[in-house]
Amino acid sequence: MLEIKNLHVKIADEDTQILKGIDLVVPKGEVHAIMGPNGSGKSTLAYVLAGREDYEVTDGDILWNGESILEMEPDERAAKGVFLAFQYPMEIPGVAGLTFLRTATNAVRKKRGQAELTTPEFMKVVKERAGKLNIDVEMLKRPVNVGFSGGEKKRSEILQMAMLEPTLCVLDETDSGLDIDALKVVSEGVNALRSPDRAMLVITHYQRLLDHIVPDRVHVLAHGKIQKTGGKELALELEKSGYAEFGEKAA
Amino acid sequence: MNVAVMKTKAETGFTEGFERVVDTLPGGPNVAALRREAIGQFAADGLPHRRVEEWKYTDLRNVMKDALPPAIGDATRITIADVIVALGPLGRMEVPRVVLVNGSYRKELSNTEAAAGVSVVALSTLLAGGADAKVFGVEAECARQSVVALNTAYATDGVVVDVPDGVTLEAPVFIVHVRAGGVAQFAASRNRVRVGKGARATIVEVFAHVPGATPDGQQSAVTAVDLDEGGQLAHIKIVNDAGRITHLSNWDVTLAKSADYRAFHYTAGAGLARNQMRVVYAGANAKADISGAFLARVGEHVDTTLLVDHALPGGVSRELFKGVLQDHARGVFQGKVIVRPDAQKTDGKQMAQALMLSEDAEFDSKPELEIYADDVVCGHGSTSAALDTDLLFYLRARGIPLEAARALLIQSFVGEAIDKVENPSLRDALMEQAQIWLLGHEA
Repeated sequence: MLEIKNLHVKIADEDTQILKGIDLVVPKGEVHAIMGPNGSGKSTLAYVLAGREDYEVTDGDILWNGESILEMEPDERAAKGVFLAFQYPMEIPGVAGLTFLRTATNAVRKKRGQAELTTPEFMKVVKERAGKLNIDVEMLKRPVNVGFSGGEKKRSEILQMAMLEPTLCVLDETDSGLDIDALKVVSEGVNALRSPDRAMLVITHYQRLLDHIVPDRVHVLAHGKIQKTGGKELALELEKSGYAEFGEKAA
Repeated sequence: MNVAVMKTKAETGFTEGFERVVDTLPGGPNVAALRREAIGQFAADGLPHRRVEEWKYTDLRNVMKDALPPAIGDATRITIADVIVALGPLGRMEVPRVVLVNGSYRKELSNTEAAAGVSVVALSTLLAGGADAKVFGVEAECARQSVVALNTAYATDGVVVDVPDGVTLEAPVFIVHVRAGGVAQFAASRNRVRVGKGARATIVEVFAHVPGATPDGQQSAVTAVDLDEGGQLAHIKIVNDAGRITHLSNWDVTLAKSADYRAFHYTAGAGLARNQMRVVYAGANAKADISGAFLARVGEHVDTTLLVDHALPGGVSRELFKGVLQDHARGVFQGKVIVRPDAQKTDGKQMAQALMLSEDAEFDSKPELEIYADDVVCGHGSTSAALDTDLLFYLRARGIPLEAARALLIQSFVGEAIDKVENPSLRDALMEQAQIWLLGHEA
């Protein structure tokens, strides 16, 4: 279970407060969506969950399975099951996709006390999981994300997620830059990972992603706080009314 | 350079030491005459210093304090097993090898049978057979440099490779220079490579040391390269020594029409390395890809100085150099590209990048384009930056611990340059070599 308690966050080295007291609980097995206007702090929340250093938590706590993760390094969090699918996946020239996936997979397996995968075992798993996301293994021989289209990058993120088998998946604007076909493939990949052991937090500006990844709860984030919480129908209401109610113009 | 200055201890040592050893250096009377002329020139010019533009960032006169005793007819006993150890990951490659120990050719350690159809002969063998001074020849402009003059005066040995017209040699020919024994010496070698019309070869010059060798030494290596029409050469130099040596390298390359030259310099573990190269496009439509990776830590200093001279139309040049600088190491890149009036349709691109792993590291990059033709595409760029923190976060968010993430990013940075090496075994061995270096830095 993810428990975010009274979370206050500012940008390190600056005074700007971005998150001003977030309270949120995501039980295992549930998918929660966070919607909100631009600049509301959605991506900040995603980064803070993953442990990015550019932010400073000034108050509150984040508990994952009852344990505070705030003092943990990003790689320790990953080993504990936290995974952030980036809004803008990074290109890593010179590192082949397979090398990257294998290094990451075995790093978290080792930390979790699982046996590291041998090359044949790894290849078998990666082929199977990449296939489901329409990713050609040949593409993974190329440097990570270099020269990939927006859709390819997002599929590559979901493949990483599938390989690392996280228990808390945070998806930051996973729909941005995707056409409808790519959106379907990515959503199917995410839905395949839904399980009673996994909690998911889906961050999005638009409702359309939630047609494919249907959430159990929807939270509206604006001005650094959760302004409203409801069921999946809340997303449809927002689609109609925009974020005006929360003092912002719809984009 | 004709400013009257006090001669340094090293300059005096090299100049005065010459007379004592000239009779023991290989070659007949006309070779001896060439050596005398060269040492005279060296005596006049001295070691290059920072007031000489091409040596602005590498003040050799100041750094090279002593003239170590010249290595002549060295007979330090070593075994093939020692050579294999010295070669590290490269030792696994079963290739034709010519081995020079402290600057002298060793037949018993060499194996050139696999280089069938190609002539691979030691310079000392040619000189003993009465070859004249022409085997020493480099273009006058190259010979004029005082470092090359010093090499001409003292060169004891080297390798002369001739790939006949139309011959393709798949196996890379290794010219292995190893330092051995407990005496710090100055070793000078001179190589010549000719690749005939439409011929193709790979030549790898390696500089390393066998276990137990003194960490100190000075080496000067000059290689003259001629590619005939349509000739292709992959020319690689690997310096992987112990840290305190002074390594002075000079390649002088001439490309005939449609020749295709691929050069790569890997430099790690040299106290001071100067990799100087001149590539002259003497025929139209020739191509050169000149790349390299350099790794330096503590106070090491690696200098890459290139002169690419497009004299005729349709030439293509690509340069990519990547360096990893740790502690207070210093990297220097000077890349001069001349496009002469006749060299229309020249396509030249240059990039030099340094990864700064410490606040105290320094990278001096000086691209120079001199373009006299109007229909050309030329570009250059240079960067020096620390590890990308966004990328580090990305890797760590995927569970990769900090040190491993750093290592992966450094490898990827260097890997982009090493990828320029086309021979897969060689490329893999170099990548492994770089990883070993990086682990040494992590420790």
